[in-house]
Amino acid sequence: MERSIETIWKQGFLKSNALVAPKINDLYNQKSIHIIAKFKRMFKINLIAIVAFSFLFLVISFFIGIPITGIIFFVTLSVLVVINKRLLNDLEKIDLGASSYQYLKAFNQWKNKQITVNIKISRVFYPIIFLSMILGFWFKDAEGVPLGERLVDEILLGFPDTYLLFGIPVIGLGIAVLILGLLAFFGDRIYKWDLNMVYGGVFKKLEELMKDIESLRS
Amino acid sequence: MSSDFYKTSILPFAGIIIKLCRAYTNSQQDFEDYYQEVCLQIWRSKDNFREESQWSTWVYRISLNVCLTLLKKKKNNVQHFVSDSITVEETEDNYAFSDESLNLLYDAIRKLSEIDRAIIMLYLEEKSQKEIAEIIGTNPNNIGVRVKRIKVRLKKILDGKIN
Repeated sequence: MERSIETIWKQGFLKSNALVAPKINDLYNQKSIHIIAKFKRMFKINLIAIVAFSFLFLVISFFIGIPITGIIFFVTLSVLVVINKRLLNDLEKIDLGASSYQYLKAFNQWKNKQITVNIKISRVFYPIIFLSMILGFWFKDAEGVPLGERLVDEILLGFPDTYLLFGIPVIGLGIAVLILGLLAFFGDRIYKWDLNMVYGGVFKKLEELMKDIESLRS
Repeated sequence: MSSDFYKTSILPFAGIIIKLCRAYTNSQQDFEDYYQEVCLQIWRSKDNFREESQWSTWVYRISLNVCLTLLKKKKNNVQHFVSDSITVEETEDNYAFSDESLNLLYDAIRKLSEIDRAIIMLYLEEKSQKEIAEIIGTNPNNIGVRVKRIKVRLKKILDGKIN
């Protein structure tokens, strides 16, 4: 006689192997490895993007007449990439075989070290980028004369009593120094904002996972 | 997850969690991932349980939500077009019950839409229409009619397979 679906259901689950619950053991390991792998991927892509951008900008800078900016950009970003690549190499050394908590702890330590190093760099990095742009445009050729000098001539025509220092209006120097100072002062905040924008989601997940594991251990 | 919580609050309901996870997966690996994720989410959301419903209802609801979320994520990952009522992927050979009729029934259930799968599973677990509606988040009046329709559909699928 044909059995109803209710009967098939009931009788089927009476068989011994039907309802064996899998062990809950490896979930946190899988999750931590997955999140950190995602971070590594993003980090590598980010470094490649920086290299590609700096190279592209170097080429473009020659075409648009600001090679100084392009060269400084290229050198500065290359240094940044080399330092971060070395940091990434340290990350690869973290033992995947450790427990998920130890793994996450090790990753967290690496992350904090990476952030500390990059904060130090960013205090110099942003001012250098700003300076490179000033220099690039200052020395940009404007009908045989550097653009900066031409600008100073124009200012002197309008305001003949302008104070000059090394041939540059003092007020202009003052503003540039002020911006450089602000960039150096807020460099860490700009870096953290940038970091949060790119990796904020991953770090948040990581934090939640750490909290979960810590509450389980307590 | 503390083993006490697992033993007292999850293990008694492991049966329905396993059955639900089976209905939304096609391989042992996926099934284990779904099961573990359901258990983890039940543990994580335990503090949100307000005792407005039974703990079992809460467990079913979370299990269902997790299964549907994971299924959606998986679909997005493979960018697989799935219409309202089908699951196209093949089931793994080693991912089977020892009872052949139960395997056929499960295959048929997997061909239903995601919500219909949940409804029929809860019906087969002898949940009342009110409980099913509470878990699914719908009107209890529609459940009876919908169960009848799902059973007819399942019967057709099973007849097609058997014949």
